[in-house]
Amino acid sequence: MSTRRDLLTALIALAAAPGLGVVAAPFSDLDRDAVRRIGQAWRDSHPGATSRTLSARLFPTGRGPEALPALRAAVAADFRAGRLFVHRGWRLSDTEGALFALLAMEA
Amino acid sequence: MAIIDARTLPDASPLEADMVIIGGGLAGITLARELAGGPLKVIVLESGGLEIEPETQALYAGSCVQKADGAKDRPLDSYPAQSRIRALGGSGHVWGGKCGPLDPADFAERPWIPYSGWPVTRAQMQDYYDRACDLLEIDRFPLEWPTPTDQALQPLALDDEDGFFPAPRVFTRISGRTDKPAFDRFRTQFAEAPNITVYLYANVIRIRREGDVVTGLDVACLDGKRHTAKAARYVLATGGIENVRLLLASENLGNRHDLVGRFFQGHLTYSNDSDTQREGSTFAASRAAPLDLYATAQRFEPHCVIGAGLPAQKRMKTGNFTATLFRANFSNADATVGADTQTLAKTATKLDQGQEQSNLLGFFAMTEHFPNPDSRITLDPSQRDALGMPRVRLTWVHGRKDHEDLERSIDGLANALGASGEGRLCWSLRRDELLAVSSASRHHMGTTRMHRDPRQGVVDSNGRLHEARNLYVAGSSVFPTSGIVNPTLTILALTLRLADHLKSEKKAA
Repeated sequence: MSTRRDLLTALIALAAAPGLGVVAAPFSDLDRDAVRRIGQAWRDSHPGATSRTLSARLFPTGRGPEALPALRAAVAADFRAGRLFVHRGWRLSDTEGALFALLAMEA
Repeated sequence: MAIIDARTLPDASPLEADMVIIGGGLAGITLARELAGGPLKVIVLESGGLEIEPETQALYAGSCVQKADGAKDRPLDSYPAQSRIRALGGSGHVWGGKCGPLDPADFAERPWIPYSGWPVTRAQMQDYYDRACDLLEIDRFPLEWPTPTDQALQPLALDDEDGFFPAPRVFTRISGRTDKPAFDRFRTQFAEAPNITVYLYANVIRIRREGDVVTGLDVACLDGKRHTAKAARYVLATGGIENVRLLLASENLGNRHDLVGRFFQGHLTYSNDSDTQREGSTFAASRAAPLDLYATAQRFEPHCVIGAGLPAQKRMKTGNFTATLFRANFSNADATVGADTQTLAKTATKLDQGQEQSNLLGFFAMTEHFPNPDSRITLDPSQRDALGMPRVRLTWVHGRKDHEDLERSIDGLANALGASGEGRLCWSLRRDELLAVSSASRHHMGTTRMHRDPRQGVVDSNGRLHEARNLYVAGSSVFPTSGIVNPTLTILALTLRLADHLKSEKKAA
């Protein structure tokens, strides 16, 4: 079975833009099962989502250092627009739900 | 002059003064303190003694049911007797001492809230709030709250456009629970003034009137003695429930427009713990610095709650709302729920602030209870107390708007926190659960509401009964709307305002 690190390494190789680790690293220490549950909960209401579409949405200009500020901006924009994803009562942005879904798919 | 046990007076004693204050609670005492040493001869009639006694407390017994849209009725029959105290000092005996002013928004007429708007503004109340703070030996509340400099006391950096703000709360030692000797001095020393007499065990059971003039009071003791009290002016200060009871029992005094007892407002707090499916009411703060401004180490320390200012209310079309944060132990009953919480909180803090560790806090929510004519106190003539007074029936109603607004406010705050990168909010209570999980406060408001128009209020903007030119009402029953903060500071501020009015009225006469 591949380890999470193996998968991340593979993702780096597949990434269109260099520097995937810059964005992946901050989320590499998350509880894998929890990521899967939260990601699946988001996917339940977005059955058509794929890792490709999510990656394009979340990292349109690649996963370099600029990706994190862009994610933050997307999260803020979701909250401003009331685009919420609710998990066990937690009010999260839709972008965070999508991020969990992508992390779950890529794990 | 003295504190006298009315049971020791000869039967049928006539008590006479320039002013009679009915009720020796915090409002009545505050008024008497203001008049102490002045030219007016003042009598305070208190139903109880110096301390809480079951026989006197039993006079409060009645029935209560809480109703909410879509929820099962909740009987709370012990509430009328257990939510207030009948002794000199009133409910100050059990008050926790929490103080805060109403917000400017609370005084405003808000078109999206029926019956909102006070005949006085927050700015006009500032001097009275200052004096009330001095009386309670606490720091004053300026209209503009200064930003703290200590890093741990920095407020949440919410955008101004969101309209949420840190609303301060402090604690006075002048309460029975905090500093009993200081409270005892507060509630008794004023009676040493030569113009003040306090009668204990003196229950007013009827207000007599001729036309629009109150002519006297019937006073009863539990030992069977009966007295009368007479003055040029009277102030009714027996609390948000008992004020109604006495007016209605006095041949519907003040009730020409069927308003006495209606619009009962009481604060509820809402929160829940986690279970196997969901997290409880929780705030995951994204900043590394502690939020000591909101969640203090000790319960009775000054702190702030997150309040919804007028811009937020206007935007969300809601009323006032607060979230009170507190430090909690987050050992979730369910490991899966706990792991999800830790994971999403950690992700949020990484996104928001680039931090590794979020700061989990519990919170409870409160919303303004909207004025509702169906939320009301009536009398039950078939049930009478030991003095023959009809007992009260409280029908405490939360309408659809109350709970819809709570949910909109929660979402609004969650959006503001997330958009500002300050954290995430968890709220997992369903609408049909809200009433069952709520905790009832001891705040009784709105039942003799203040309004310039006699068709919309029981008392005028000075607290005078529209139907009787020499009877005034003090206390939270005159609040047109409830705000959220504990009402005591506002009760005292309004009483000080009334005291000034009564003094000026005397001078003019």
